[in-house]
Amino acid sequence: MGDKVMYEISLRRFLGLYALYARMDLDFLVRDARLSLMAIAADGLSNAASVSGVFLLSQRFGGIGGMSRWDVLFMLGYVTCVTGLYQLFFSGNNTGHISRRIGRGQVDHMLVQPLPLPVQLATEGFIPFTGCQNLLFGIGIIVWALRGAGHSVGAAFAAGTAGYLFVSLAIIIGLSYLFSSLAFKRQVAFEEIASTVVDDLTGMLSNYPLSAMPPPVQWTLITVVPAGLLGWFPACALLGQAPLGLSALYPLAVAVVIWALAALAFKKGLKYYVKYGSNRYNAGGHRR
Amino acid sequence: MVVIMKGLIATIRMSAAGKLNGGVPALFAGYLLKIVYLLPMVFLWRSFAENGADLGGFTIGRLLTYTCVSAMLEAQLNVRSGAVSWHYDGQIIDLYRRPQTVFGQLATTTVGGWLPELLLFSLPMALVLPLFGVSALPETVWFFPCLALSVSLGFAVDFLFSCFIIRMQNATWLAFTLRNAVMLLLSGAVIPFDLLPWGIGGILKLLPFGSLAAAPLSVFVGMAAPVEVFPLQILWNIVLWPLAALAFQKSRERMVSYGG
Repeated sequence: MGDKVMYEISLRRFLGLYALYARMDLDFLVRDARLSLMAIAADGLSNAASVSGVFLLSQRFGGIGGMSRWDVLFMLGYVTCVTGLYQLFFSGNNTGHISRRIGRGQVDHMLVQPLPLPVQLATEGFIPFTGCQNLLFGIGIIVWALRGAGHSVGAAFAAGTAGYLFVSLAIIIGLSYLFSSLAFKRQVAFEEIASTVVDDLTGMLSNYPLSAMPPPVQWTLITVVPAGLLGWFPACALLGQAPLGLSALYPLAVAVVIWALAALAFKKGLKYYVKYGSNRYNAGGHRR
Repeated sequence: MVVIMKGLIATIRMSAAGKLNGGVPALFAGYLLKIVYLLPMVFLWRSFAENGADLGGFTIGRLLTYTCVSAMLEAQLNVRSGAVSWHYDGQIIDLYRRPQTVFGQLATTTVGGWLPELLLFSLPMALVLPLFGVSALPETVWFFPCLALSVSLGFAVDFLFSCFIIRMQNATWLAFTLRNAVMLLLSGAVIPFDLLPWGIGGILKLLPFGSLAAAPLSVFVGMAAPVEVFPLQILWNIVLWPLAALAFQKSRERMVSYGG
C-alpha cells in the first residue's frame, strides 16, 4: 500500500510539501519573532563558537599541521555549510535526529499519515527561515577563505564543493538513521543516540584539521568514526590533494556503504516496531 | 541545625545514587566521550610543540595538564544545576514542596551528582595521567580556594541563566545553546587565554566567564599567581551573587513549569 502511494507522489506534490513546511516555518517565525530571532542568533553563535577555537589557534600559529590558516578557514567554512544543510533540511520535526521520534513512540503518528514514510522524512525537516543561518554563515566563511588564499573559483570547483557537501550530508544522515535503528527495540536507552552520534561525536570531531594528527588517528577518523569526511578530507581534496593517497571519490564510497547499512537496519527495526509497537506510553497517556 | 545538615547530606546521597540509576556502563559512555574530546586537543598541542611554536609561556607538559584537568573538572568549572533544566520537565516545582531551601536543594543535588564522576572518572584519570608523563597535581594548594570561588561563581551564573529561561518563557534549549557557546568561547576551558591571538585573552580574563575555568586552571598549572586571579574572582562573586538572588526572587512569580 505504502509503495503504491509513494509511486503516485509527483515531483510537483513533493515540492509542494517543501513549500508547505516553509510556510509553517515562516508562521513559527512570525508568531513570536523575538523568541525566534533569539533562537536563530543563539544557534548561529553556538556554531560560531564551535569553529572559533580551531580558527583562533590557526590564526595564532599561522596554520595547523601543514595546512595554512586559509586552508583551515576553508575547512571550517565547509564544516559549517554541512551543519547548515543538515539544519536546513533535517532539523524540523527531528527528522535528522530520528531516534527521538522513534524513541518517543512518534513513528505511530507518521504511519497514519496519508503519505509514505520516506516522503515525510525527506520533507518534514525543511525549515528555510529559522534554519538557514549556519549555511549562510558557512558560505561567507568559504568565500572569505578563498579570497584570502587567492583561489580562483571556476565551475568545476563550485560543482566539486556542492558534490562533496551532498556526500557529507548523506554521511551524517546515514549515520543518524543507522544508529537510530537501535531505538526501535530499546526506545528509552537509544532515544538520544542520534544526537550523540551526529552532534556529540562526529559533529564535534569534524572541526579538527586531521593533518595535525598521527596517521592511525587520521585513518580512524575517516573509517570507524568518519568525522574526517565531514570537513578535513573534502577540504584537502578541493584545495589540491586528497589525503592519505586515497581517491577523491572515497567519501562517496563510504556514504554508499553507510546508506546500505542504514537502509537494512532501519527496515529491520521498523518491521519490529510495526509488530510490537511502542512501550513509551502507559494506558493513562504518560510517558514512561 | 543538625536536622538541616542531615537533610542536606541525605539529598547529596540520593542525588549521587540517582546518577547510577541508568547503570554504571551508561556513565562510562559519557566518560568515553570526554576522552574522545580530549584526544584532538592533545594531538594539536603536541603538533604545535614539535613544530617549535611559541606556546605563550606554556610548556607542552603544562598544556597537557591544563587540558586534562579541564576535562576532569568539567562539571565543577561549568556548574549546571537543576535550576536550568528542571523547568522543562516540571521538577523545579518539587523544590517548593520540601522542607529545605530552594538553593540548598539545588546545591546539594548538584554536588551529589558530581560524586560518581569524581570517583569513577576524575580520580582514576588523575592516577593514570602521570603514567603518560602528565602531572595531575596542582602547582599550589591555593588552587583549591580558587576552585571554590569558581564553583560559587558558577552557581551564580547558573541562577542567572535560570532567570533568563523563566523570562524567555521556558526556552530551555535556547538558553542551553547560548550557554554552551558562551562557555566554549569565553571561559578558557578549551583553549588557554595565553594561546589566543590579537590579545583577546587579556580581555577575556577580565570577564566573569574567565574566572570560572581559565582562572583555576591557570593556577593549577602555575601559569597564574593566586594573587592575580583571586581579586577578580571575589569581585565577580560580590557582583553576581546579589544580582542572581534578586533576579531569582523577581523571576519566581513568572515561573511556569510542567512536564512528565
